[in-house]
Amino acid sequence: MRRRHLLHAAPALLAAPRLAGAQGARTLRFVPQGNLANVDPIWTTTVIARNHGLMVYDTLFGLGRDFQPKPQMAAGHDVSADGLRHTISLRADLRFHDGEKVTARDCIASIARWSKRDVLGQRLNALLEEMRALADDRFEIVLKRPWPGLAWALGKPSANICAIMPERVAQTDPFQQITEHVGSGPFRFRASQWVPGSIAVYERSAHYVPRDEPADFLAGGKQVFFDRVEWRIMPDPATAAAALQNNEVDWWETPLADLLPVLRRNREIAIEVVNTAGNLGVLRFNHLHPPFDKPEIRRAIFPAIDQKTFMQAALGEDAALWQVPAGAFTPGTPLANDSGLEALTGPRDPEAAKRALRAAGYDGRKVVMLVPTDFPTLNGMSEVAADALRKIGMNIDAQAMDWGTLVQRRAKKDPPEQGGWNLFVTSWEGLDVSVPGSHQPLRGNGQDGWFGWSSSPRREALREAWFAAPDQAAEKRIAADLQQALWEEAPFVPLGLLRPPMAYRRSLSNIVVGGPALFWNVRRG
Amino acid sequence: MFAYVVRRVLATIPVMAIVALFVFSLLYLAPGDPAAVIAGDQATPQDVERIRASLGLDRPYLVRFGSWVWDILHGDMGVSIFTNLPVTTMIQQRIEPTLSLMILTLILAVSIAVPMGVLAAWKQGTIIDRAVMAFAVLGFSVPVFVVGYLLAYVFALELDWLPVQGYTAFSNGFFPWLENLILPAIALGGVYIALIARITRATMLEVLGQDYIRTARAKGAGQGSILFLHALKNAAVPIVTVIGIGIALLIGGAVVTESVFAIPGLGRLTVDAILRRDYPVIQGVVLLFSFVYVLVNLLIDLVYTLFDPRIRY
Repeated sequence: MRRRHLLHAAPALLAAPRLAGAQGARTLRFVPQGNLANVDPIWTTTVIARNHGLMVYDTLFGLGRDFQPKPQMAAGHDVSADGLRHTISLRADLRFHDGEKVTARDCIASIARWSKRDVLGQRLNALLEEMRALADDRFEIVLKRPWPGLAWALGKPSANICAIMPERVAQTDPFQQITEHVGSGPFRFRASQWVPGSIAVYERSAHYVPRDEPADFLAGGKQVFFDRVEWRIMPDPATAAAALQNNEVDWWETPLADLLPVLRRNREIAIEVVNTAGNLGVLRFNHLHPPFDKPEIRRAIFPAIDQKTFMQAALGEDAALWQVPAGAFTPGTPLANDSGLEALTGPRDPEAAKRALRAAGYDGRKVVMLVPTDFPTLNGMSEVAADALRKIGMNIDAQAMDWGTLVQRRAKKDPPEQGGWNLFVTSWEGLDVSVPGSHQPLRGNGQDGWFGWSSSPRREALREAWFAAPDQAAEKRIAADLQQALWEEAPFVPLGLLRPPMAYRRSLSNIVVGGPALFWNVRRG
Repeated sequence: MFAYVVRRVLATIPVMAIVALFVFSLLYLAPGDPAAVIAGDQATPQDVERIRASLGLDRPYLVRFGSWVWDILHGDMGVSIFTNLPVTTMIQQRIEPTLSLMILTLILAVSIAVPMGVLAAWKQGTIIDRAVMAFAVLGFSVPVFVVGYLLAYVFALELDWLPVQGYTAFSNGFFPWLENLILPAIALGGVYIALIARITRATMLEVLGQDYIRTARAKGAGQGSILFLHALKNAAVPIVTVIGIGIALLIGGAVVTESVFAIPGLGRLTVDAILRRDYPVIQGVVLLFSFVYVLVNLLIDLVYTLFDPRIRY
């Protein structure tokens, strides 16, 4: 053999194992938004752990595309005439991944664990008279006061989901991680193959019986068409983009806006907004310290806010990837309304904002803004916010840091000059901020509340009223009042709804639209 | 010799102790709170405090340090705050890809750089010498991630010869292992090749001017024999030193390379752990890297005796 022949053969030799190692059609290769660092959807509130939870655990109720709860593991849900007694019966074919039957005791233990960590779960805990099994497949939740939103809370997909686990697992202290991963959902987690930061493997559960209905977001039949789903962690967006183009992965959850033009040029790749509920951009003030301790100063900023510029900085010019105007509640969800929305939709007037700021007594003091540089979307919106505020005369000190530092820093209640802060930009899952119950930026529970510690008895009273609202019409009235309170008290500034798209190979079809990436119903071909 | 090795091994103990103290103190003082990251936005301050307590992060500095050192002395590097997996397990999961990448890079770099340096010295002042030096400047100047992206674009996306990313264990076959690592190794090896080639050239130039080389030529020794037997062996000590020092370069470069090529190695484990403030993992990995570096230096010292019989320990 001549040397030249050997050189010609080398690429073929290198390429040959690639053909042999090609993935089977029954495996779905998915690049999630980040690293799956922990796998207990109750212990942590991270979105990725929640997404893992939605694969491995089923829920008693699930939201449909209309964001209304529908029975999922539940076969029926009866509410007594006084609204205090909720009787939930279970489907007869429910089994955990180990083949054991799902019983009322498992559900009660799972709800109890969830209720110690989730914000709506804590509400349930406060209202709970008792929970007891009536039979193996039936249990009741007795409340001290009526709560029509109980099914919504038990079926909402935002963290924390009310994941149904075997009783022995659910008895784990909610502040400790579970060590056994036996779920009730359509996929079985292969803990032995989990390499954090690299790969997480799921297999179709042989014991899962889907509802005999079409898939409807988190409700309906969760039919699985893949034997195996691999989450492949890729921290570098350019690498993930190249892997998708090269058919090494099928689906990328969070393509960077800058890379979308490259992906769009590839005819094998589809770009689609799957998470229609999106994320609400939020500019949050610290209410404990000047200057944002004064509502007049917080309100003065509204005329300077052009939501469109924030969205463009985050996701680019394509208006299909964001929605403005956005008020207090997620646009497109039932409680979104236009009460007082003209505060953000009227002509933008930085000069008016400047005058209002002076009139409110802003003395030119330094305003410390925390800027997370490792989240491109938040970084972009933070830069726009800093620029808008500088233009109206604010003395902004934008401090760049990673998210890990920011989450510690924002918990500090000290004055800004002693390591505290004045404002930061973040985003909230659309479904979290679609109802008052889990809408933390809108709350007014002061020192016990979300970072920024806004205090407002009015907003707290409206939230309480929402919990007791008998129907959606009443909920909508309360939501409108709450939005009005937003413009008057300005606990935060809504910056628009981000709808980051997902990118996937066109060989996939029937992806479930509405929220996070879901792995039922989707198929190849 | 044996006594020397024992002395050197014992000398690593205070070095490791200082590294341990330094790493632990640095992390203690660094901003960031894993409990806040775990708790998320919906958590109350009481929830965050409870998580902090459950992780033992509310204990005083000395208690935490003492407990960590005690565990390390018993072979226990602790448990990751986030994954709940033992740090040793996480390191075991990640050590093969990093070792593979470093060994392949080392082999590639040495086998390319040393002949290049020798050639440049032999052909000093010619176009070959200038080409080698230009390559060296390029190797130093172009960042690893740029080389990585370029290689992936050409060989994976355009030519479709090699995968863009990932790692296949050696146990799954040599070629699958190699096809995943060849591009990362070339990307990572660039700066290393440049460094070794320059040092080899400089050292060889000095050696080629020595009297014994002139004597070898006068005796009629062939060019190959002069370059590789007489000159290179005598120039080997500084070259080997640079190869050893370069291990640190490789460790640093592996962090970037593993991210660009999505290789699940120790570099990425370190970055992920730092971003999340997963203290036990950071401490474990840094301690391991320090130990490896100390060990490599010891090996380099021992290798000197193979090239220069005058060196005795």
